[in-house]
Amino acid sequence: MLGAEVTFDVALPKVVWGWLVSTNMWAKSIATGTFLLGLYFIKKYPEQDNFFRKWLPILGIIFIGITLLVTVLDLHHMFRFWKIFVFAHFTSAVTLGAWVVSAFVIVLLIAFWSWVTGNKKLLDRIMIPGFILAFFSTIYTAGIMGEATAREVWVFPAEMISMLLSAMIAGSAAYLVVDAIYGNVLKEEIRRELGYILFGSAGLAAAMFIGELFFAKIHSEFAYKTIEILAFGDVAPFFWGGMFLTFIIPMVLVGIANENKKYQYAFLGALSAIVGLWLIKHAWLIAPQYLPLS
Amino acid sequence: MRLGFLVDLSRCMGCMACAVSCKAENNVPLHSWRLRVKYIDQGEFPETKRHFVPLRCNHCDNAPCERICPVSALHYLPNGIVNVDHERCIGCASCMMACPYNAIYLDPITNSADKCTYCAHRIEVGMMPACVVACPTHANIFGDLDDPESEISKYLQEHRDVMVRKPELNTHPKHFYVRGSTVALDPLASERPEGYTLFTDVEFLDHIGGH
Ligand code: SF4
Ligand code: SF4
Repeated sequence: MLGAEVTFDVALPKVVWGWLVSTNMWAKSIATGTFLLGLYFIKKYPEQDNFFRKWLPILGIIFIGITLLVTVLDLHHMFRFWKIFVFAHFTSAVTLGAWVVSAFVIVLLIAFWSWVTGNKKLLDRIMIPGFILAFFSTIYTAGIMGEATAREVWVFPAEMISMLLSAMIAGSAAYLVVDAIYGNVLKEEIRRELGYILFGSAGLAAAMFIGELFFAKIHSEFAYKTIEILAFGDVAPFFWGGMFLTFIIPMVLVGIANENKKYQYAFLGALSAIVGLWLIKHAWLIAPQYLPLS
Repeated sequence: MRLGFLVDLSRCMGCMACAVSCKAENNVPLHSWRLRVKYIDQGEFPETKRHFVPLRCNHCDNAPCERICPVSALHYLPNGIVNVDHERCIGCASCMMACPYNAIYLDPITNSADKCTYCAHRIEVGMMPACVVACPTHANIFGDLDDPESEISKYLQEHRDVMVRKPELNTHPKHFYVRGSTVALDPLASERPEGYTLFTDVEFLDHIGGH
């Protein structure tokens, strides 16, 4: 007997989690990445900490605000979002994430207050809890994806590492963009270091994608099909666009900028990384949703 | 008590009585389903075969939907049924992303997640699920898996070809099939051409979960 074909069925959803969720992950990478890198630069370059003490809370609040907004908008019962706090189910990474991000918002507000009042000690006191909360805010989505059992390419801990790298890409790129807009206010040394962080995290993230998709042993047929869709199917424009804009273009431009001290290239590379990150997140999110499950 | 389902696929004739009775019993809106019967045609004339597969929630013992639901809207009943609390659901669709069997839908009218509950409301008053009653060939066998004397337990003991969907995922489904085949139970074992086929429009909806 030869091939089999479905000849009668109900219509099935193609994409359940769409662009709002991609935007959530993208904005969260920027918010947490700028926080984590901001702390590092405040510690390492206390002589230029004003830049980071200002932009760490501003970028954090804007982008975590976007994250929260799209998260609530994506709920089919958006006015019930509070139930996650009163009927919390702690086996769910969604619940853990909501709690951790809420605490992170408080830290960002304190950091903002610290900058407004010039009370540096305030931020210094919450650096450690802030670091922990930003770290877990970055990785909890990987936990959700790991729990989304129907989508076999989203595996923990590979997702977790990928999200940390995304935060590093987004954080360094965001600071490079802000620095360029405000007329290269950062010391050259810091700008170069931001460039190296962007270069290194983009390189590692690209290697992870390529390795996982094309060289790893794929055990399930489901994962294999998803990769076909990602690389050659409907999602391919997002995927390849994301690969070029997030990884290849920033690496080349930041490389040129740091080698030749032409920092306008770093600005372009950083912009490209920020746009590309949304594309690659979107591709990775929707590709496994294209397959029939039943 | 651990309630389970078994479908004897050799008895199913694809009449859809179960699907229709489920829709009527549970007010399932158009474009949504708790129970559906999928047809798969295999082979080339004259070597052909048609498979009918009733699909519904498997009431997994280790249910990913229950684990991921942030507000416990999906929860276990003491009889093993995985039930839904529509009032509590926040509509995050995480359960839809977690269920490997595509058994959950977001009701476009209530905006809450919903799925087969083995007709928990009927069980509570001692009745059988609507689909069991409606089936003219008694292909649907429902009962207590913990009771060795129940019809379902006996069926499971007597048949060697018991199958569940995606056993490799360790969800421990409490929904079994006998006289089934991979073609019938594995979604990737058959092609899914979009557009009109012999009977109907087989398609993906572009964005049913979103807005
Ligand atoms: S089949 Fe899906 S909806 Fe039903 S219990 Fe299992 S995971 Fe949950
Ligand atoms: S959609 Fe409702 S039932 Fe499903 S996981 Fe979210 S809150 Fe729970």
